Amino acid sequence: MAGILIIAEHRQGQFRPVTLEAVAAAEKLQASSGESIAVAVIAPQPAVFVPWVSVSAVDEVVTVTTPNAEFDPDVTGTAVKALIAARKPSVVLMPHSVDSFGVAPAIAAELGVGFATDVFDLRYDGGELVATRAAYKEKVFVEIDFPGKETVLLTIRSNAFKPAGGTGQPAVTEISVPGIEPRTEHLGWQEPPASGGIDIPGAEFIMSVGRGVGDEANIEQFVELAEALGATLGCSRPIADNGWLPKARQVGQSGKLAANCKLYIAMGISGAVQHQWGMKHVENIIAVNKDADASIFTVAKYGVVGDMFEIAEELKAQAGGN
Amino acid sequence: MKILVPVKRTASLDDEFEMRDDGRDVDADFCEYDINEFDEFSVEEAIKIKEAAGEGTVEVVVMTVGPEDADEVLRKCLAKGADRGIRVWDDALEGSDQMAIARIIAKVVEREQPELVLTGAQSSDHGFAQTGIALAGILGWPHGAVVSFLEYTPGAPSLAFRRELEGGLEQKASIPMPAVLTIQLGINRPRYASLRGIRQANSKPVDELSHTDLGLTDDQVGEAGSLSRIRRMYVPERGRSEMIQGTPAQQASRILQIIKDVRG
Amino acid sequence: MTQQTPHQITRILFQDFPHWMVAVFYGVAIVAIAVFLWGVFIQLRKYAKGKRDKNLWAVARHCIGDTIATVLSHRAIRRRDQAAGGVHAIIFYGFALLFIGTATVTLQYDILGPFGINFWYGTFYLIFKLVLNIAGLGLILGLVYMMVRRGWIKPPKLNYARPDRSRADPDYNRDFYRIEDWAFLWTLILIGITGFVLSGARLVWLQAEPSVWDYRWWSPAGAAVAVALKILGISAADAAKLRLGLWWFHGLLALTFIALIPYTKAKHIFTAIGAWLVRDPEAVRRLPVGDLDQAKIGYTEIGDFGRHYLLQADACTKCGRCHEACPANATGYPLSPRDLILTVREHANQQLTPSFLGLGHAAPISILGDGNVQIRSETLWACRQCGACTEICPVAVEHVPIINLLRRSLVEAGDMDPMLQKTLDAVNKTGNSFNESRRKRPRWAKDIGFEIKDARKEPVDILWFLGDFASFDPRSQKVSRTFARILHEAEIDFGILYEAETTAGNDIRRVGEEGLFQTLAEGNVATLAECDFKRIVTTDPHSYNTLKNEYPAFGGNYRIDHASALLKELIDTGAISLSKKLDYKVTYHDPCHLGRFNKGYDPPRAAIAGTGVDFVELPRSRDNSFCCGGGGGRVWVPDPPGVTKPGENRVREAGTIAGLDMLVVNCPKCMTMLEDAVKTAGFEGKFQVKELIELVAEAMDMDGKMAAPAAAELVQ
Repeated sequence: MAGILIIAEHRQGQFRPVTLEAVAAAEKLQASSGESIAVAVIAPQPAVFVPWVSVSAVDEVVTVTTPNAEFDPDVTGTAVKALIAARKPSVVLMPHSVDSFGVAPAIAAELGVGFATDVFDLRYDGGELVATRAAYKEKVFVEIDFPGKETVLLTIRSNAFKPAGGTGQPAVTEISVPGIEPRTEHLGWQEPPASGGIDIPGAEFIMSVGRGVGDEANIEQFVELAEALGATLGCSRPIADNGWLPKARQVGQSGKLAANCKLYIAMGISGAVQHQWGMKHVENIIAVNKDADASIFTVAKYGVVGDMFEIAEELKAQAGGN
Repeated sequence: MKILVPVKRTASLDDEFEMRDDGRDVDADFCEYDINEFDEFSVEEAIKIKEAAGEGTVEVVVMTVGPEDADEVLRKCLAKGADRGIRVWDDALEGSDQMAIARIIAKVVEREQPELVLTGAQSSDHGFAQTGIALAGILGWPHGAVVSFLEYTPGAPSLAFRRELEGGLEQKASIPMPAVLTIQLGINRPRYASLRGIRQANSKPVDELSHTDLGLTDDQVGEAGSLSRIRRMYVPERGRSEMIQGTPAQQASRILQIIKDVRG
Repeated sequence: MTQQTPHQITRILFQDFPHWMVAVFYGVAIVAIAVFLWGVFIQLRKYAKGKRDKNLWAVARHCIGDTIATVLSHRAIRRRDQAAGGVHAIIFYGFALLFIGTATVTLQYDILGPFGINFWYGTFYLIFKLVLNIAGLGLILGLVYMMVRRGWIKPPKLNYARPDRSRADPDYNRDFYRIEDWAFLWTLILIGITGFVLSGARLVWLQAEPSVWDYRWWSPAGAAVAVALKILGISAADAAKLRLGLWWFHGLLALTFIALIPYTKAKHIFTAIGAWLVRDPEAVRRLPVGDLDQAKIGYTEIGDFGRHYLLQADACTKCGRCHEACPANATGYPLSPRDLILTVREHANQQLTPSFLGLGHAAPISILGDGNVQIRSETLWACRQCGACTEICPVAVEHVPIINLLRRSLVEAGDMDPMLQKTLDAVNKTGNSFNESRRKRPRWAKDIGFEIKDARKEPVDILWFLGDFASFDPRSQKVSRTFARILHEAEIDFGILYEAETTAGNDIRRVGEEGLFQTLAEGNVATLAECDFKRIVTTDPHSYNTLKNEYPAFGGNYRIDHASALLKELIDTGAISLSKKLDYKVTYHDPCHLGRFNKGYDPPRAAIAGTGVDFVELPRSRDNSFCCGGGGGRVWVPDPPGVTKPGENRVREAGTIAGLDMLVVNCPKCMTMLEDAVKTAGFEGKFQVKELIELVAEAMDMDGKMAAPAAAELVQ
């Protein structure tokens, strides 16, 4: 047997749409291999999520009923291992998310299947599966293959594929997996600290500062500039980690998505993939960075290579004069 | 009790670099090497547990898989307060992927019998986010990935932690010992290793082991023991921003024009 | 008038005293001397508890001539405060003469007298009296001036309010010292005044004796008091009583003063001289070599301090010159070198002197911390290591190495600004503070139109050591290109180290990262050992200082010049000609590391003069230059919002010069700091910050050769 198996993701009772990006990646493979696409839903009441994954590309939905609601690497791991043993898929896809970080490598290690993470492109090259990912802070791309592996497990970078759409009528198969034993005790959630009126997802115009700001003392200058420009102030992860700005201002994978943003100014942000996750979809991005090779310039529409402080001063002076 | 902290010597690239002749990695001449940024946090977390427990209660062992140059990252960790180091290397290990590395670490775990293994959540060069959890899989130990907060008293049967998820949400969880955790950036503030400390760390023991010392066979390491293989590495063609030229004043005025055009 | 024999013209000691009274006096005197000696012992024992890190006797032997000259000339005390210094000289000489006088009396009466040798009579006695009268008058007038200064003039430097403590802190004002200052002045002045009244009373009492009365004007002040007493109608008998009472008051006060010298600020009489004797003239420019193998590299406890530093802490008289000169203090940072030294003193007194008659000591505590007699890390990090304090200290206190040795402990403990920690990590990793790859170091020279020799591969006359800023900072890179063109134009045979250069480490050492500094120094010494050159030239005063003064301890002995000296040389020898006379009004900022540290005051001024500009000195110049704020590693730590940066203070000073066109600097770090300050302090468009090198290049009129690259820069 063969086929492509996708592991669906959910959290706090909500389906996670990144699953559909993995489906889209599978569609791309299917175009050359012609294999069928199955999505596995592993949950206490998997039926809840079946409609979410019933998109046109999906041939089958496999459900596994689990004792616990929230992610437990042992539960997901046991279920996925059982599914791989039962279906012997040629490719297993998971979203490259924090939850898959927590289980996918363990599964690969135990089964000895081919494995790569954070994959943003894949194809067959003469029957050989080739996955593409990045390295060295996005400066290079890496093509990876899996000699001799009948099954390959990949985690798919978010925002790399457009989510699969359309409505389908996949067959639903229930599979019972014995021996599921949770070892992680879920103790609850810690919501991100109150935003205090800071609304990154809702903002249409965001100016973010990154590592280039250098020191806490320099933050004030950009607070004032954001105010002068009428922009919502955002930041990259190191700034929030240092406590220089509240977490609610952090744009990126572990922060907020600039969901409604039309104009994004990135000051002194090199453009780590985690930050890009939160902003690269914005139509108008202006990046100011002293490093001409910073990866932010690959997603920005406009770029300025220069000193962010000098530019900020000029902006403030000129905006103030208007 | 004992905490094992596997660390990696990672490379960062200069603006201009060239590929190796085989096209499968960057020419090492163009790399600056340092300890993986994430590992600075896992080492710090281990040392904090050691310091909180008081003298002589906790031993922190740092290890790395790599050639002799990798000693420098071990020295840095020893300078910060780790007790001893282990470096595993021999020629057969060349070409090992993260999975093969995890297998080697697992053998060190068997040998050292730590109660806790702390790794970085990922590496700052390749960013597989794989080694720690793969290790847990091989060992069959409970584990937690991307840990942003850790509460553990040496000797306790379990540990409590928070995992940082997407969007700033955190999951609070607890797992029984022994365990493997992968540590996220920002969990602590890594201390400085002074050069004097690094030099004095030369007197702390670093064991050098080969794969056979650990009971691994040739087909368990290197490319043979890997689950993936790098075919080629290349510099992508990318779209480039439209660069705004001129003096800072001219650049700023162009930015303001764009703001005006977009915002109306 | 009967004729007196010279032997009759003298003063009879203890005249008309009953025996018991003389005995009581000797008893009191012996007790006073015992208390004095005990105090001396306690202090010496305190110093002995410091580290014996150098042979102080050898240092003292070397410094003795300089110390005597300094003390006698009062040159150190007169610097930048002629009035207070001059008056101090009067007090000093008055006190010294009075002391010698008293010693002479003792010599006569207690030592030579019993053997029948007498000299204290006749002409000698009369001159003696006259001299001591003048000395006493000088002392009193001097003390009056000091009282007026403290009480009415109140110079800000004598305000003991501490910048390192909040107003609410009980130790904010160090009130104890103010009380002590006044008690000191009053005690001395009372001893002086009662001395004269006593002298007058004696004259009135003995007015019938011609051997006394006829010679009264040899003690003019005493005689004037006597005349006044007589006008007031005091009889001889009353005067006898007054004399007896005053004799005891004056005598007991003087003995009390002597007894308390080792316990009060009066001890500076000894400690200041002692501090000069063990002074290290290179204290600022050559920091102590730390032993990396020891358990400790910096100071954390008072017992870690060198003995000479403990002595210096006791020498401080709170004159406030360091307080006034310190750029951190001047701009609102929580550091006053004076208060730091006083904290060291108080900490030493608390920790190293017995709490009661030698019984029991306070439990040892760290000198680093937020407590009462502790030094805060924010205080230590405020320091720029610019040396302004140590330069001006009249009692040879070495604040700079003391702060550095304390900082070494902070670095060891990681107690530092995160930016600084990142910089140190970067230097360790890449050999430069810009966290740039080593390969990038020579890139500034890419488009200058000629090839610069690789000093690693071929012999050169001049090896140009650039330093980090000149290699990586875009503004300073321009200066580097200009300097390269000047050397090229002058047909100098020069080369650079290309990727092999690493930061010289001057500021790394001044931060307190001694281990990293030594690693860098060893690396550069090894690199330079492989090169064939006649001398080193550097555009960076920081590199200049450490290569010149600190590398010899690591085996690097070079002939080295700063670029300004080379420029002067090239102008003098005609290798370059300043054909274009420049019509600017300029002033010059002395970089600490070139000026104060290494006395390179004149070559840059000579080079400026050669360009024909209208040159005006800054109010604070040469040894009194005011740091740009970038020293001691502070160039890597941004100044917090809300405080004035030292650089802003400096450009405001330049702004007081009417019609100024340019503030000329001579150091890449000063360039960075002051150019930034010109913007933030609102002087943009009023005057420019220019490198000396750029000024010289302009005067050389290298137009044809410079136009093309300058245009290329604009396009970039």
